[in-house]
Amino acid sequence: MDLILKARNLTKYYQMGEVRVEALKDVSFDIFPGEFIVVLGPSGSGKSTLLNLIGGMDVASSGEIYYRDKPLHNAPEKVLTGYRRDAVGFVFQFYNLMPNLTAYENVMLAVEIAKKPLPAVEMLEQVGLADRADHFPAQLSGGEQQRVAIARAVAKNPEILLCDEPTGALDSSTGIQVLKVLKDFNRHYKKTVIIITHNAAIAQIADRIFYLKDGRLDRIVNVTNPVSPEEVSW
Amino acid sequence: MLIRKLLRDIAENKMAYLACVIVIIIGLMTYTAMQMARDNLFIARDQFYEEFHLADGFARVKAIPFTQVEKLQEIPGIDLVQGRLVQDVRVINLDQDKNIYLRLISLADHRPYQLNGVKLLQGSFPGDYERGILPADKFFTAHRLSLGSTISVIIEGKKIDLKITGTGQSPEYVYAIRDMGNIFPDPQTFEVAYIPYGVMESLFNYKGMVNDITFTLKPGYKFEDVEQELKTELEKYGLESLVARKDQASNAMLAEELKGLAKTSTSVPILFLSIAAIILYIMLKRLVESQRGQIGTLMAFGYRPVEILRHYLAYGLLVGLAGGILGGLLGTALSIYMTRMYQDFFSLPDLAGRFSLKYFLAGIFLAVGFSLAAAFQGAKSILTLRPVEALRPPVPVFSKKSWLEIIPGFRAIFTVPGRMAIRNMVRNKGRSFFTFIGIIFTFSTMASIWSMYSMMDIMVLDQFTKVQKYDLKIAFNRPLPLNEVVRELQNNGGIKRVEPLLEAPVTLKNRHLSVEVMALGLMPDAELYTPVDTHGKQIQIPGEGMLLSEQVARKLNAKAGDELRLESIWAKESPVYVHVVAIIPQYLGTNVYMNQEALLKLLQQGQVATAALIAMDKEKIPALKVKYSTSKYISTLEERQQIIDLYNNLMGSSKQMLWIMVLLAAFAGFAIVYNSSIITLSERKRELASLRVLGMRPGEVLEVIAVEQWFIGMLGILAGIPLAYAINKGIASSMSSDLYSLPAITTPPALLLALLGTMLAIWLAQRWVARKVASLDLVDVLKERE
Ligand SMILES: Nc1ncnc2c1ncn2[C@@H]1O[C@H](COP(=O)(O)OP(=O)(O)O)[C@@H](O)[C@H]1O
Ligand SMILES: [Mg+2]
Repeated sequence: MDLILKARNLTKYYQMGEVRVEALKDVSFDIFPGEFIVVLGPSGSGKSTLLNLIGGMDVASSGEIYYRDKPLHNAPEKVLTGYRRDAVGFVFQFYNLMPNLTAYENVMLAVEIAKKPLPAVEMLEQVGLADRADHFPAQLSGGEQQRVAIARAVAKNPEILLCDEPTGALDSSTGIQVLKVLKDFNRHYKKTVIIITHNAAIAQIADRIFYLKDGRLDRIVNVTNPVSPEEVSW
Repeated sequence: MLIRKLLRDIAENKMAYLACVIVIIIGLMTYTAMQMARDNLFIARDQFYEEFHLADGFARVKAIPFTQVEKLQEIPGIDLVQGRLVQDVRVINLDQDKNIYLRLISLADHRPYQLNGVKLLQGSFPGDYERGILPADKFFTAHRLSLGSTISVIIEGKKIDLKITGTGQSPEYVYAIRDMGNIFPDPQTFEVAYIPYGVMESLFNYKGMVNDITFTLKPGYKFEDVEQELKTELEKYGLESLVARKDQASNAMLAEELKGLAKTSTSVPILFLSIAAIILYIMLKRLVESQRGQIGTLMAFGYRPVEILRHYLAYGLLVGLAGGILGGLLGTALSIYMTRMYQDFFSLPDLAGRFSLKYFLAGIFLAVGFSLAAAFQGAKSILTLRPVEALRPPVPVFSKKSWLEIIPGFRAIFTVPGRMAIRNMVRNKGRSFFTFIGIIFTFSTMASIWSMYSMMDIMVLDQFTKVQKYDLKIAFNRPLPLNEVVRELQNNGGIKRVEPLLEAPVTLKNRHLSVEVMALGLMPDAELYTPVDTHGKQIQIPGEGMLLSEQVARKLNAKAGDELRLESIWAKESPVYVHVVAIIPQYLGTNVYMNQEALLKLLQQGQVATAALIAMDKEKIPALKVKYSTSKYISTLEERQQIIDLYNNLMGSSKQMLWIMVLLAAFAGFAIVYNSSIITLSERKRELASLRVLGMRPGEVLEVIAVEQWFIGMLGILAGIPLAYAINKGIASSMSSDLYSLPAITTPPALLLALLGTMLAIWLAQRWVARKVASLDLVDVLKERE
């Protein structure tokens, strides 16, 4: 089967004055279409950094990364923009909703630039916010904002859905609801989903788990029998 | 969706965007108003001159027969010559308190092509031998006259009644002043009026003669080409003056004003527009920067840079369009107001406030262009960032305290919020600089405008309290024996002092430069006319040589010690030579000064005077006026108080304009401070909300922003002081013309007023921001992120 993502010796460091912070060291992996991946690691282990590289949001200091054989590591910004526009859905750790657009409009913002978008209203229904469609972010709780952010990313119908701590701010029942949405998207549309978490319990729903430690990909674990989100508890 | 975001963004920050719009409006208003007013004036003048044939040259003689006038046409270069009678007469049946003069000009008998033609504005021309009069419209209105009523004038010592048949205006007296010695027109006391030649001929006893000649030149000829021959020809008939169109009083004044207007109509708008552009650029840049996170999000979604850029350009477009259209409309309104002001000074029948689509569109074009450029500049830097970078707030590195904290006592002066403010200010150098520039602009504009205000007062006050100290000036028709005149006048009641004055029209030449000016011969012990230096100290009139006013010196490029060539129709022998002793300031009018004896000697004249200056009891003035009102030796009686009143009156409208400018400057200051504060507020919402959560009151939190603004404000004011001086110098020299010069003075009260005005603008902006701080929703703010 064709790889959807291939990374070889990905390294990212931040130069801060004289100090060089190595956020990611020599990370290599292959990801297949339709996989559900959980990246697990303690705070500061380089998870967000990795997700940013995968999402074409940032470029690596060294190493290579390919999306369907197309290199991203040396791609010009124009190509990266096209990649983000057409292939990637991103859920930010801090939601990043447009403060002066309603929940529905925030989803529409993504739908408008997508090639084969999913219906915005349906997505809001799936995250259980159909009745809050006309609310502005300020009128929503943190968890609700997170769900709008997920609806927004999913509505683009991307090949790869990237989520940075999607359940970080949620209680367990809403968390499970969110995970269900992600899992459904993964199963139903056969799209690749990569989520970041520092919560080991969640990892069990994945097909594979990437363990990050101090910027290194410590190990990759195949989950033989992924559990459904409902069975997760934390 | 992005359009909704745009509209809501703008709605949310109404004031900030409104401020942007207002800054543009201010810039464009000056642009459209001044350009339109200038065009209106130019068009009206050219049209009127063209249609009613303003002559190319004007000559005054004692008397010349009509037959001889026609012969002048044989001089090569002269095209058309027309003769007429011109006489100033006193009007006695109107306002009794004033000395009112009309310059009677004879109307030609049905010439097909009339030089300096009269445009009929009301009624009709008097019949050929009818004792009718056609005064200028301004005179008619100033005295609330009606058609058919009579004007009584003194001719040759007799009272003559003339019936008003209509009103009219000729291009020759668009700016109706008696001579170059008067600066402002006053239709109450001087205007022109037209009466049939036949009537004038018999009233003044000029059988078949005229005393004034006007002519046009053939194409390709200049006034200088015919000047010499004409002079020789006319000397036989007692030539008194010969001037080219460019030196003709009305035209010269109009040209001077147009020259000034042409200059200011480009320089002032450029100043305002560039300030608007700078302010707009920084404001939009900041607004865009404050949306950095949102831009990052859009990028992460895969919005293309052009799409994001387009979105932010739309802010600029909207602001530019709004500012452009409103600025254009308000500018048009202001131009109509300005044009109306000009109508008070210049009688141009075709002068009207016109809407000019050209400048309106050009204005919108400029505004949109500026705004788009500003928005582009503001947004472009962010687009070069990678999404991750854009998503990260531009974290300032707080590794060290700001340099300001080195100042001893820093901790003592500022509270903790104050310290936060100062650190913030040092960190955000760009924005601080922007506020700084804005405050400098606001303060120095106000200071210089208020100074100008006092400059105008000083100009008049100095002239009439330090220089022209007489109560009454009596000018004679012809030079009179000096001692007899003084003796005669001294015999009147209430007279304190009488001083003879010699006013001689002269042409001064320094190499190729030449100036026509009135030379004043002053008594060495003169007390009623005393030129002063820049410090207001009386200047001693030298026994020999000449004192030049600054304007004359500038035009002649002459300095103390230079020798000038002097020509005068009064001199027995011309030219003679005179050396310059000193250059002195003169705010109103332009003259050169000499010792009376020396001037008389230079002109080879006996002991004569052309005017008398009188200091006397105010109550006795009316009696004196009555006594001499019919004397045929006296041409004018000029009361100092009347002149002062006239000046103050005329400056009233200029002062209104100054007030408008002050308001504009204050508003710009307000807009800048408000904007800068709002940006700080939106950037530091979380920080400020945390302070509120800690239990600080809104007022204390506001301090974080306010201290910053006040601190920069004070620095801006300090820096604005030298700038105000510089601007004043610029204004003084650009507003000064051949006819008057403005002193470049920046007065402490003006600085104080500007200080208060600027502080008021800052304070008001802070009040507005305070409302925003008070309404910060703490939970909301803290919910966002982390
Ligand atoms: N922009 C940055 N500048 C400097 N250091 C950074 C930056 N972003 C992340 N880091 C550092 O890189 C490391 C990994 O960060 P991150 O990928 O955000 O970790 P995680 O998401 O796993 O918590 C951390 O030590 C963090 O401090
Ligand atoms: Mg992270």
